[in-house]
Amino acid sequence: MTAARTLDVSELPPFRISIQAPLWWGQVCLIAIEATMFSILIAAYFYTRLRVDVWPPPGDQFPNVLLPSLALIPLILSAFGSYWASEAAKKDDRRGMILGLGLNLVLAIIFFVMRIIEWHSLNFNWMADAFGSYVWAFLGLHSFDFIAGLVETIVFVVFVASGRYGERERLGIHVDSLVWYFVVAIWIPLYIVTYWGPRLVETAQ
Amino acid sequence: MSPAESHVPTAEEQEQHLRTLENSWRHPGGITGWLSFTTHQAIGMRYIVTAFVFLVVGGILALMMRFQLAQPNNTFLGPDRYNQFFTTHGTTMMFLFAVPMMEGMGIYLVPLMVGTRNVAFPRLNAFGYWMYLAGAIFLYVGVFQNAAPDVGWFAYTPLSGPEFSPGKRPDFWAQMITFTEVSAMCVAAELIATIFKMRAPGMSLNRIPLFCWSMLVQSFMVIFAMPSVMIASSFVLSDRTVATNFVNPAEGGDPLLFQHVFWFFGHPEVYIIFIPALGMVSSIVVANSRRHIFGYTAMVLSLIATGFIGFGLWVHHMFATGLPQIAAGYFTAASMMIAITSGVQIFCWIATLWSGRLRLNTALHFVFGFIAIFVLGGLSGVLLGSVPLDLQVHDTFFVVAHFHYVLIGGALFPLFGGFYHWYPKMTGRLMNEAVGKLNFWVLFIGFNLTFFPMHILGLKGMPRRIYTYSPEMGWGPANLLATVGACIIALGGIIFIANVVWSRRAGKVAGNNPWDAPSLEWAAASPPKNYNFEYLPVVTSRYALWTPPDERVIVTGLRSNRREVLATTLMDAQPDHRYVLPPPSIWPLLTAIAVTIGFAGSVFNEWYITWGSILSGIALIGWFWPRRPLELKP
Repeated sequence: MTAARTLDVSELPPFRISIQAPLWWGQVCLIAIEATMFSILIAAYFYTRLRVDVWPPPGDQFPNVLLPSLALIPLILSAFGSYWASEAAKKDDRRGMILGLGLNLVLAIIFFVMRIIEWHSLNFNWMADAFGSYVWAFLGLHSFDFIAGLVETIVFVVFVASGRYGERERLGIHVDSLVWYFVVAIWIPLYIVTYWGPRLVETAQ
Repeated sequence: MSPAESHVPTAEEQEQHLRTLENSWRHPGGITGWLSFTTHQAIGMRYIVTAFVFLVVGGILALMMRFQLAQPNNTFLGPDRYNQFFTTHGTTMMFLFAVPMMEGMGIYLVPLMVGTRNVAFPRLNAFGYWMYLAGAIFLYVGVFQNAAPDVGWFAYTPLSGPEFSPGKRPDFWAQMITFTEVSAMCVAAELIATIFKMRAPGMSLNRIPLFCWSMLVQSFMVIFAMPSVMIASSFVLSDRTVATNFVNPAEGGDPLLFQHVFWFFGHPEVYIIFIPALGMVSSIVVANSRRHIFGYTAMVLSLIATGFIGFGLWVHHMFATGLPQIAAGYFTAASMMIAITSGVQIFCWIATLWSGRLRLNTALHFVFGFIAIFVLGGLSGVLLGSVPLDLQVHDTFFVVAHFHYVLIGGALFPLFGGFYHWYPKMTGRLMNEAVGKLNFWVLFIGFNLTFFPMHILGLKGMPRRIYTYSPEMGWGPANLLATVGACIIALGGIIFIANVVWSRRAGKVAGNNPWDAPSLEWAAASPPKNYNFEYLPVVTSRYALWTPPDERVIVTGLRSNRREVLATTLMDAQPDHRYVLPPPSIWPLLTAIAVTIGFAGSVFNEWYITWGSILSGIALIGWFWPRRPLELKP
């Protein structure tokens, strides 16, 4: 194309670790997809629940609330580790990235151990009835996301600790923090539905 | 930043720039190279060609069904084969043709139209294509193993559940959904990021071409609708394979829930197919009436409104399931409301055409065909939106007639118009116009002969999904007419393919902008180079190429020795930073293979999900392995 005038962009940075990065927007889209998926699953849970009189069905225990509630503490705190790492990634602060990701990792593992213990104590599985299917689906799908997030965090720790990282990886750490905020945030409604749901919706229509 | 007067590249600088650009965007060679392509033109074309193959396959299935129904008590296909064919026909047309085709057009055209060099995530784009292809192959492996799904393209429970459908047939359907939806979601995410963050400087929101607006709305609909069908198909699949009870009434599940979750996707799906077609119509109308679109703002707002209202209609597919009256009333009103937003667009096009200087080419013929057929389909839709009439004709051929009028009229006709319109851009040659007009008339007549009689058949009570009928029903003549029509449609398809093949070799050379159209894709070479534009354009009006050449501005200062593009701000498209795209890679294919092992295997043994996840994790680490140089030079 011939043109009389030009717009010179050579002074612009070749990278930006911020909301301006296309990757940030792509990540938000993927989070929106997952959030929609969980929202529909929660809607389906209540749809199913409102069609029966007794919930949980006879024989199934009410899931315990104590341990899962305590487990929220390390889970929510782990998001701060993620935030620390993402801010350090912007400033190329290697120590901050390792410490932030490390904190994230340790707290996340503590949460997950607590989850497994509680999960193990359930007296029903997904085959028992619809209630069991939903509880196991919430726990299973969220654990899948959770483990994927953990693996990502471990990979980033290895990259940063071994010095094999540049701007792209730092942007990755920044954007990855969004994933972790999502994994933490989506658990709160899922926790309420899984552990308080059977208690909250007492009567049938 | 404002455009500078100085620094216009000299001829020598331009030549040097072009050489390095050519080099950094060159496709890798060899088979592995071919499997590693990440340019949007290559991936878009793969989508378009693959989806077209499935249009032909789905069309052949339809033709066989029409042969079976041509006369009473026919025995061409047995009941079982007929069930498999109508299910596979619907599934193929929806998931393997319509959605991927629209996405392919979007992938091909959006980066050109917004004035950049590729989509925002080229490797994700390649991965999405491989997932689509794997899902398509997966379904057809089932078809050729006599395990084609036979429970309708919507696979209602309890029919599709373990009790009434033993064997693997619905599993192939359900898992194919997962494949194609992953693909659709990848495309949605990358198109949103591309349209939001990679527009040419100056292309503020109110200057985005309407086709890009339509792809944007469609992408958002994909994001909020597609998870729903994955949930629905996973309910069926996990009930069948690992004995969950989501839709099992014996253990507290509810089969009707499946319908809600399915149609919460299924209705927006119609708009996911239809909205990009609206964008194509706008492009064709503007180029061929040679004036600005009438009511740009109204058009954009009604596209967005259609996107929203599309999510509030799903229950009108379920009027016969015994819903509370208040729900039926609400969804009737919402169904009628969508006619307003569609109507706004129709009237804007008519106003544009009315006051334009028309070039009556084949593409515009298809637009006229679209308006005629779509308005008819829309009107029968308004009828069906009312509960008493819907109950009367529920599950009859009236519904078949309605949705083929809407889908073929609303999506396929604009798409064929789009083929004729953009073929010169994609190949460098024009399609033959005389054959094109013949093509249009054959398709138009064939279409109406096939589907108009179905309205009458439906009103006379002929149900859908029956493989034959007895002569005393009196349905024979109309069915025979429909079958003749279907053959004429097939003839139209053959004419189209012949025109494509012939024009590819012997068509008139098109040049960059054969239609004198205003949007940026026509500034690129035909066919476009891998990098699209020598210098990225700066946009100063809504109709970039109708700006006088001496007022045009180009972007300089992007490095040509790597795949560099410009990231701009969301609202006003101010340049923000330079953004380096990754080189071609084989990892998207390897990741798709890993995911396929998990998805396909899990139909037979649930542990494959675990193995597939581990393999995918390894592949993704390979995908994201840090590249040298680690730090980008400024």
